[in-house]
Amino acid sequence: MDEKYAVDIEHVVRIYKRDEFEVRALDDVTIRVPQARFVAIMGPSGSGKTTLLNLIAGIDHATSGKVSVGGEEITGMKERDLAAWRARHIGLVFQFYNLIPVLTAFENVELPLLLTPLTKTERREHVETALRIVGLADRMDHYPRQLSGGQEQRVAIARALVTDPTIVVADEPTGDLDAKSAEEILNLLTELNRQFRRTVVMVTHDPRAERFVDTVYRLDKGVLVGVEAGKIAPAHAAAATAQ
Amino acid sequence: MKYVMLVLKNLTRSKRRTLLTIFSIAVSLFIFSALVSLPTVASEVLSDTASSVRISTHNKAGLAYSMPEAYKQRIAAVPHVVAVTPESWFGGIYHEVTDQFPNLAVDPDTAETMWPDWGVSKESWKKFETLRTACLVGTATMKRFHLHVGQQIMLRGTIYPFNVTLQIVGVMQQSNAPPNFLIFRRDYLEEARGRPGVVDNFWVMVDRSENVPQAIKAIDEGFANSTAETRSESEAAFIGSFMDNFRTFFRLAEILGVIVVITIGLVAANTAAMSIRERRGEIAVMRSMGFPSRTILSLLLSESLVIGLLGGIIGCGAAFAVLKIFSIGSPALGPITDIQMPPEILAATLVVAALIGLLSAWIPARAAARMNIVDALRMVA
Ligand SMILES: Nc1ncnc2c1ncn2[C@@H]1O[C@H](COP(=O)(O)OP(=O)(O)O)[C@@H](O)[C@H]1O
Ligand SMILES: [Mg+2]
Repeated sequence: MDEKYAVDIEHVVRIYKRDEFEVRALDDVTIRVPQARFVAIMGPSGSGKTTLLNLIAGIDHATSGKVSVGGEEITGMKERDLAAWRARHIGLVFQFYNLIPVLTAFENVELPLLLTPLTKTERREHVETALRIVGLADRMDHYPRQLSGGQEQRVAIARALVTDPTIVVADEPTGDLDAKSAEEILNLLTELNRQFRRTVVMVTHDPRAERFVDTVYRLDKGVLVGVEAGKIAPAHAAAATAQ
Repeated sequence: MKYVMLVLKNLTRSKRRTLLTIFSIAVSLFIFSALVSLPTVASEVLSDTASSVRISTHNKAGLAYSMPEAYKQRIAAVPHVVAVTPESWFGGIYHEVTDQFPNLAVDPDTAETMWPDWGVSKESWKKFETLRTACLVGTATMKRFHLHVGQQIMLRGTIYPFNVTLQIVGVMQQSNAPPNFLIFRRDYLEEARGRPGVVDNFWVMVDRSENVPQAIKAIDEGFANSTAETRSESEAAFIGSFMDNFRTFFRLAEILGVIVVITIGLVAANTAAMSIRERRGEIAVMRSMGFPSRTILSLLLSESLVIGLLGGIIGCGAAFAVLKIFSIGSPALGPITDIQMPPEILAATLVVAALIGLLSAWIPARAAARMNIVDALRMVA
């Protein structure tokens, strides 16, 4: 385990037992993601991408092996400690946004802050900042059903970053979006990574994503089959370094 | 505090469902509180009318036979007896032989306790207790002879060879006072009679109507095999046994109330299970953000508790209001009667409401709060 790795996964195996069958969702995977990187986990459906991401996010347990995130080993943590740890270190973004339908955009983003000791005024400031970053400051009082898919996902990203987490994990964040919205979300995650120096781990099978990320980890049938540099387009790279 | 908004917002998730649940809990608790208060209310109605706790004790041989004055102390010692007032008939007439009306003498010390429902003013009772020649007159007799308070009247003895001169100190105003009666003091009559120490009738007041049968039995058994055996009767004879006869009915009402509550509790449990099941994905998302299981559990239980309590408050309020309207709109119950839902039943109903809320959501909420996050997320995502 090394402090400079945001994610350090060593020989992780995750076996799901379904009836008498065993599914080796992850088979001896070792991955090290340095800090402040934007990386993608890619691979065909059922290759173990979500499983890997869930282990990083601390919502699933490895059958064997070691998982460290932000320099802290989480493999042996109890669920209660793990929940508190997630609240501090992890920002989650899902494919289907998973906003709470009865809460406004503002309230959805405020939700994870309820776990912090922040005052109401402080929470308001944080939420407004997060919504400004995703460009939805004018939609604070809208309910999810009043927003487009792309806007909903931006609210979800605001919710993931509002607690200022060590690492943002996103499971197919563009999977349910049209090309234009997908591009917006990828740009937003890039900005989050470049401007705010957050580590972003994204699962995707969208080939366009390769243009945005530093590294691509390829999984197949639970096995890590390749680690490649991303194909950051000159325009993006330039924009990113300019900031 | 910061979670209050979350709880309230979640209640608006399916407004119709929330309202229907609240309403059905309200209806069931209305029925519950009404049925369960039935025995208490009934006994309150009955015991509030003073006549239901009055017993008349006379000689077993007949109304024309008297009893020793000394029975007063022995009756007073019987359990549940609050007051004893001896009474003797005078049977006097006003002017003419045709001017007959019931006039009798009673002990002044316990008269006010015995007949609080006769509408005699405080000062009149006071004068009755202090003035040896005082008398109280019913409204009909006042009218018939054109009498007025303060007037001195003479009653001519028919049974006894003497007259009594009385001063009217008050009127028995209430409709349940005998309208043609005149009562005066027995010490006056006794003196005029030369103190024979006998009494025609004892009025006995018991603490509560349900104790009337017991007191009657104790009094009559106490004087069995004596020279003057007694027969006691409740002033409102039917009332004493009323509660006894209806005991089974009241039990049934209570059981019915409990069944209604359990039924609605099960319906509420089903609704809670449905509404929590629909939200498993959201709950998993909150858990993944770091909300601890116990916070999720508290949130879900709070929602259900609010629903239960709202139902309870509405149900109780309705039952309370209905009883109020019923008691105001029913003069038959007498003007003294002001039926209230017993406070302990109000409290019990609200506790039941809270329990419906908590228990109905307990199992699904606990399951949801503990469920595997990844499995739940896979179901929605
Ligand atoms: N909870 C589970 N129970 C049983 N099998 C599971 C479970 N979660 C995932 N799997 C299996 O593990 C494999 C990897 O799943 P997943 O990580 O979701 O793949 P991906 O996200 O790459 O599509 C699949 O074969 C899937 O069926
Ligand atoms: Mg997946």
